[in-house]
Amino acid sequence: MKIVIMGCGRVGARLAGLLDIEGHDVNIVDTEAYSFRRLPAEFGGNALVGDGMDEDSLRKAGIEGADAFIALTQGDNRNVMGAQIAGHIFKVPRVLCRIYDPLRRELFNSLGIEAFSPTTIFAQMLKEKLETEPEEAK
Amino acid sequence: MEFNKILVPVTGRPVDDETMRLACQLAKKNKGKIWAVCVIAVKRSLPLDAEIKSETAKAENILDHISTVAEEADYEVETDLLQAREVGPTIVDEAVEREVNLIIMGISYKRRFGQFSLGNVLPYVLRNAPCQVILYHQYTS
Amino acid sequence: MYIIVIGGGKVGYFLARALLDEGHEILVVEKSPARTEFISNELGSVCVRGDGCEVSTLTDAGTGRAEMFIAVTGEDEDNLVACQVAKHKFNVPRTVARINNPKNEAIFKELGIDVTVSSTNIIMESIQEEVPTHSLTHLLDIRDKGLEIVELKIPADAKTVGKEIRELSLPPESRLFLIIPGQGKPRVPTASTVIQAEDQIIAITTPESEEALRTALRGS
Repeated sequence: MKIVIMGCGRVGARLAGLLDIEGHDVNIVDTEAYSFRRLPAEFGGNALVGDGMDEDSLRKAGIEGADAFIALTQGDNRNVMGAQIAGHIFKVPRVLCRIYDPLRRELFNSLGIEAFSPTTIFAQMLKEKLETEPEEAK
Repeated sequence: MEFNKILVPVTGRPVDDETMRLACQLAKKNKGKIWAVCVIAVKRSLPLDAEIKSETAKAENILDHISTVAEEADYEVETDLLQAREVGPTIVDEAVEREVNLIIMGISYKRRFGQFSLGNVLPYVLRNAPCQVILYHQYTS
Repeated sequence: MYIIVIGGGKVGYFLARALLDEGHEILVVEKSPARTEFISNELGSVCVRGDGCEVSTLTDAGTGRAEMFIAVTGEDEDNLVACQVAKHKFNVPRTVARINNPKNEAIFKELGIDVTVSSTNIIMESIQEEVPTHSLTHLLDIRDKGLEIVELKIPADAKTVGKEIRELSLPPESRLFLIIPGQGKPRVPTASTVIQAEDQIIAITTPESEEALRTALRGS
């Protein structure tokens, strides 16, 4: 699969590394070159300084032939805009998007963006952990 | 100090009564006039001139009650019911319009998020009032 | 009309002030406490502090009864998302987004924003109007018809001065519909109208025949 990732934070860099190891064609975009320090040393994909909301940067990152786009910047609105450009303008078949704000996630999910809220997921996970007995310390 | 035009904002809390009694005492010396005003804050989801029956009835009750308190102190007050977006600016506007020389406001000790708080209205009035302001703090042990 | 403005910077503030003067009910939603206080002091109870992209803020703002929603923050993505939330969550009939990067104009249209306003493009247009060397000025684009209304000034040394309009080889897509002489009243031109120096001519044309129109009118 050819994949474009927008945002090279901790999650973006880690995901890029995992996909790269599995042999995917990974292209990661971030506005700051410094962010790419988070990529694993053996990362074999493309890292490109650019704005994931900018059509030209996305083209350079190879969005036109991409099978998937994943928006993972720190800004919910930047992710939403990047995801919509990928989906509506470049017709990328699979678009995933991180939206911290649960209500905004709900709305954009209903508008056809496959969005995930770490806020909801993590809070739910912690709650479930609390409700079960702790595992024996190893 | 002569106060002959006094504005008393009321909200329906117990502190209203003593605040009004204090206003009556101060006004009496100078045969002054007292206005009791109750402000209904209208949420943005409604137009400003929306008729909110429950709120209006509540405010009318508050003003009726405060008139009775004043009557018991042998004083007649005028009452005003106002509808606005924000309470603080409305009180200040009313003070300007009535050309009062004193606003008396009752406060009850409040804790908000575990900290002492005067709320939003009082600080606004203190900052923007066109006249003297007396805060009356009702002590409850 | 109830109009919500997102962003209380310079644009939002002056916009709110102008709309208030026109008698509209206005609410500005602004993130920074200092700007919120400034606007409240200047304009009264027409500003709340909050994030204009957040559903809860917009619910409190009464977005459900707003007839127009204008997002004018300095960030295009915030303006886009605010308008989309207003449109899809609160069914606001008309959404307007300010665009800071002119490249985003087409994207915003594609993503369903009713009206976009690009400050860069507006500044470019006013520069075109102001700069005298630019002999042809765009007044209005009628985009869906592929037409534009332009203004052209006849310089004193133009070869067409003294000629009748029928003598000019105007491109077929162009029509002259008003002449404003240097002195005197505006008039509707006919075939026998004589071109004078300093005439301002208002014409309708297509972008493709713009250049031909300019050449025909100035004779160079």
